[in-house]
Amino acid sequence: MLLNEEKLILNFSLFNNWEEKYEYLIELGEEICFIAHEKKTSEYLIQGCQSKVWLDFEFKNNKLYFYGDSDALISKGLVALIIELYSGNSPKKILTHQDSFFEKIDLKEHLSMTRSNGLNMMIKKIKKYAYEQLNKNG
Amino acid sequence: MKGEKIRNCFPYFKSNKKSIYFDSAATTHKPQNVIDTIISFYQKYNSNIHRSMNKAATIATQKFENSRSLIKELINAEHSSEIVFTNGATDSINLVAQSFLKNQIKKNDIILISETEHHSNLVPWQQLALETGAKIEFLPIRDDLLVNTEKIKTKINDNVKLISTHHISSISGGKQNIKEIIKIAKSFNIPTLIDGAQAIAHTPIDVKELDCDFYCFSGHKLFGPTGTGILYSKSKHLDGFIPYRFGGGMVDNVSLYKNSFSELPHRLEAGTPNISGVIGLGEAIKFVKSVGFGVIQEIETNLTEKFHHELSKVDNCVLVGSGPRAAPIFTFNLEGIHHYDLASLLSEYNICTRSGHLCSQPMIEMCGLNGAVRASLSIYNNEEEIENFMVILKKAISFLKR
Repeated sequence: MLLNEEKLILNFSLFNNWEEKYEYLIELGEEICFIAHEKKTSEYLIQGCQSKVWLDFEFKNNKLYFYGDSDALISKGLVALIIELYSGNSPKKILTHQDSFFEKIDLKEHLSMTRSNGLNMMIKKIKKYAYEQLNKNG
Repeated sequence: MKGEKIRNCFPYFKSNKKSIYFDSAATTHKPQNVIDTIISFYQKYNSNIHRSMNKAATIATQKFENSRSLIKELINAEHSSEIVFTNGATDSINLVAQSFLKNQIKKNDIILISETEHHSNLVPWQQLALETGAKIEFLPIRDDLLVNTEKIKTKINDNVKLISTHHISSISGGKQNIKEIIKIAKSFNIPTLIDGAQAIAHTPIDVKELDCDFYCFSGHKLFGPTGTGILYSKSKHLDGFIPYRFGGGMVDNVSLYKNSFSELPHRLEAGTPNISGVIGLGEAIKFVKSVGFGVIQEIETNLTEKFHHELSKVDNCVLVGSGPRAAPIFTFNLEGIHHYDLASLLSEYNICTRSGHLCSQPMIEMCGLNGAVRASLSIYNNEEEIENFMVILKKAISFLKR
């Protein structure tokens, strides 16, 4: 399990319907670890989303920390959720993590892994960053 | 046939009673007779056409070729052999690019299209331009996002080798004055290709009257199966098509080192085609004929007026395309709300729309947008759905603007 995974699953279990889950997502977006403004460029843009989603990372003490933003509320919530899920974990832990999280929080039927919401692409990018750091730092 | 009677022909609505389907510009639903025909093919006479000498294959071949005749009648082509089966409008445009234009075009020649094309009428030309050194240039556009026919001549010179544009816009629902565009092109002896993907379900097509050289559409936007489509080509051009797909079904004689192509249009239909799909498309045309374009246009005019009237009451709604609509297609944005957020919410409320750049990125960007939401209706929709849509739209807005 990742650092905040259990907490996030518990939080989502408190909601009874999609409206509450979306409200929570949007609230998460409001508290997102913002990517530096000057990094909102095509280099940090996740390709394939209907909305613009930027993602950056920092590597300290063998842990990865992520920063992001989006121009759409729900995407911003999603990227905030992904950041909350993966930040503070070692590259190895991120790479070996099984992606059943979205099934556990019962969001999968709403936010299917289509190209349009870019969720898949965000996770791929996070794993790519983790892979690069693992190779670099052993 | 009208109203509820038409809707009842579509089993999708029986399985999705709570859903509002406003995404018919992406694909239409299929009436029961089309679905039954596809099932019947596989259950009763599944076989390969134009090859096997057995009773099932004879029935299948007859039905397959009957679809060709039905399409010929639908668009009033001169001969059935002018109808080539493809897997959709995109495939048809690629066929013109690769089998027709590629043989005639050279460096610095011009392919004239508009900036408001669907990607399917842009990317095949970009690719051809890359391969041949030809250039793409763009027809002048008016404020209503349609081609400015009065200024077309300013773009024409000896290097223009093809004019290709759409009939009805998948974004604005506006209808081009293609008759005039074709007339002008003809006066300069330039062939024309009309992308009828969005027109075919909404307006009668008469290729003889239009006098276009090529016309194409996808079956799935005409209540038919996906993976079907046609290219209409005047016979005089088809003779010059050099196939770009090779294999079985398109040859008469084959030795180890040589072959001879079969007659038209079969030489352009290599491999086993989508037999059940094409037969299903024939049934879709029978369905359209049973409703009639008079009724289709009456229903769609009412839906268009109603939708437009209701949407105009929504605050801060910005519509793409200011002109009259020839199809109930509405692409819009709400100020201060991202199209992705709105479409996501609408989806949660069981409303099917499309969002994003709608496969027309240059046009969306030309309008100064990152994307938009599109609601597109068809003959199976009704006014009650429009009213419900507006209620939900307002709910979604208040959720996102809280």
